[in-house]
Amino acid sequence: MVFPAKYPSLNATEMTDEARHALIRVLRVAFPHAGVPDGPYERTADTILTEAQNETWFRVALTQGLLSLNQLADGDFRALADEAALKVLRRVEGTEFFGFVRRTAVLNLYDDAEVWEALGYEGPSFDKGGYLHRGFNDLDWLPDPRIEFPAGETMPEMAPGATGAPRPAAQDHTPDSTNQPGTTSSDMEEVKK
Amino acid sequence: MPSADQHRSPGMSVTQHSIDQNDDAVVIIGSGAGGGTLAYELTAQGIPVVVLEAGPYLTQDDYVNDEWEAFNQMAWLDPRTTSGSWRIARDFPNLPAWVVKAVGGTPTHWSGATPRFKEHEFKVRSVYGRVDDANLLDWPIGLQDLAPYYDRAEKAMGSTHLHGRPPLPANNNYKVFANGAERVGYRFYATGPYATNAEEYDGRPASIQDGFNFQGDKNRSKWSPLVREIPRAEATGLLDLRPESHAVQITHDAQGRADAVLYLDKEGNLHRQAAKVVCLAANSIETARLLLLSATPRFPDGLANSSGQVGRNYMRHLTGTVWGHFDKPVRMYRGETMAGIIGDESLHDPDRGFAGGYYMETISLGPAFMAAFVEPGAWGPDFARLLDAYAKSAGMWIVGEDMPQETNRVTLNTTVKDVNGLPVPNVHYDDHPNDVAMREHAYTAGEKVYQAVGAQSTHRTPPYPATHNLGTARMSERAEDGVVDRWGRAHDVRNLFVSDGSTFTSGAAANPTLTIVALAIRQAEYIAAELKAQRI
Repeated sequence: MVFPAKYPSLNATEMTDEARHALIRVLRVAFPHAGVPDGPYERTADTILTEAQNETWFRVALTQGLLSLNQLADGDFRALADEAALKVLRRVEGTEFFGFVRRTAVLNLYDDAEVWEALGYEGPSFDKGGYLHRGFNDLDWLPDPRIEFPAGETMPEMAPGATGAPRPAAQDHTPDSTNQPGTTSSDMEEVKK
Repeated sequence: MPSADQHRSPGMSVTQHSIDQNDDAVVIIGSGAGGGTLAYELTAQGIPVVVLEAGPYLTQDDYVNDEWEAFNQMAWLDPRTTSGSWRIARDFPNLPAWVVKAVGGTPTHWSGATPRFKEHEFKVRSVYGRVDDANLLDWPIGLQDLAPYYDRAEKAMGSTHLHGRPPLPANNNYKVFANGAERVGYRFYATGPYATNAEEYDGRPASIQDGFNFQGDKNRSKWSPLVREIPRAEATGLLDLRPESHAVQITHDAQGRADAVLYLDKEGNLHRQAAKVVCLAANSIETARLLLLSATPRFPDGLANSSGQVGRNYMRHLTGTVWGHFDKPVRMYRGETMAGIIGDESLHDPDRGFAGGYYMETISLGPAFMAAFVEPGAWGPDFARLLDAYAKSAGMWIVGEDMPQETNRVTLNTTVKDVNGLPVPNVHYDDHPNDVAMREHAYTAGEKVYQAVGAQSTHRTPPYPATHNLGTARMSERAEDGVVDRWGRAHDVRNLFVSDGSTFTSGAAANPTLTIVALAIRQAEYIAAELKAQRI
């Protein structure tokens, strides 16, 4: 059962265009990518609104959170410049509202082909034959390195003198808490002369 | 001979071979690096086996080149809980491990690096000495015991650089990594050993460098039991493979011998498969969970747990990621994800301030995973810049030995139930001071590699949910120190074997899959001999 919000303003804000645009603005400020067009931000906002519709607690947190942004902005959050809007978001960073928006945004905004294109990622590749003939090794600002271990050399296993060195010191030494008998505790072994 | 319809019925075989549930069978739980290998090696010797696999039978046609879609398709997503001071408990509290639930197991999403253990890494208690709060123990076997099986495993898996297999070419991410390594004075960098075909081998094609390793390999160039051991076991006519069959208990008879495995099919119906031998290879968290779920009055602390070590000494490798950001394109996502390794720091050198060593290996994520993992919890302009640098980023993963600790353990969380009403596993982990010191050293070393080739900035990413899960049923010479003996045979239950990374007495620096496969080949020989001699 879904209870109506006590304050009508909560319901009123819930699905308004104003709320959606405020959310889009939140995403732009929280995840600012100059090269990313509006589409991915709008789709991510819609995903958040859909998820909020499905969960009462998220919806309550979201509507309350968007309202408090306006209160912290002394007016309309959407009207704030980037720097001021970022300050407001930092003040709500620890809230349920912002955590929900951030988590959902991280999982969805960057799972969007338009964002991939803006960031320079090419998406699925198998159907295009992979990158074998499409630049898997086209980096040309460094020399081609060798691809095998140096011939005739053996990778060292132990540093010279490793066995003779003092035992590695544990930084937080807590005596007598180990089940291992060792150098600092008696282990009741047979004593030989 | 059962009809085709019976072949497809829930909880029953999907191959042409079917074993009666009342026949005492060799039952293998899990079809990954350990279980899949064991299934092939035993059937190849004429021994029929039942393989119970919790996940579905996905093949290359099912795989998708999309990070989240593939994750939701392949990953083990049954609920788990976490505790301890590790960051995973805060950032991904219900995802302690990133492993696969499907036929072929976690190797279907692995990247492919196959370094061997070093000789001293089997003797950590003797070589490292006493390390406070670390439950170090020497393995009951050494490199000389495993060396011939390493050879066989490398040939089976087609490891590059070895046994006549050519190396993979350098991809973009490797060019940055290797040039950086050269400039800081490292010697031992290469594109492998790496279990993906550089040329056609073993009936599978060469890599097309599509960059999707963690999503299952649609091209079948990468080794996994799905493309090698499972089909070959099936071809012997002796494999009874039951996907979507989730083992929930191993039962025993009045003599304390394992006598059956109870499992749930995809519809939640409980089945019982009688057993003469049970081989448990469900990956470290589920292997420990299943032993704990199998407690009885005779085994009150869990099956095979007279030592109290079941679930303890959970290891997940050091891990960490360093990203370098450059002023020119790298496009690290093009090509084999982990075909690049630096071994110079893998040695044991206590003068660095810690015991054990670590490898650096190339790694790449797509933007979707990069956003989720690069700095969990972060947002704002600094976070956005990490993503804006994507196309000009190079990445390396740190994989090193973490200390086994008794308090790092898998337990049953009886307050949280899974969909079947079973208690979920809780994974508790605290970093050891040795782990912290090694990770700091490795981050710094990784940054130097990228700075040496002109990185404008670098970023340290904390450990991902664990892909290397080890140690929860460890090998020991003495029954009081561990769960299984030198063959992976339970000290307490003589027809019960553990066949996955749970048996690792210590973690070593190397990626574990090669060692799991080598141990499984060796174990299969032993089980076959014991069966033929009627000692099991």
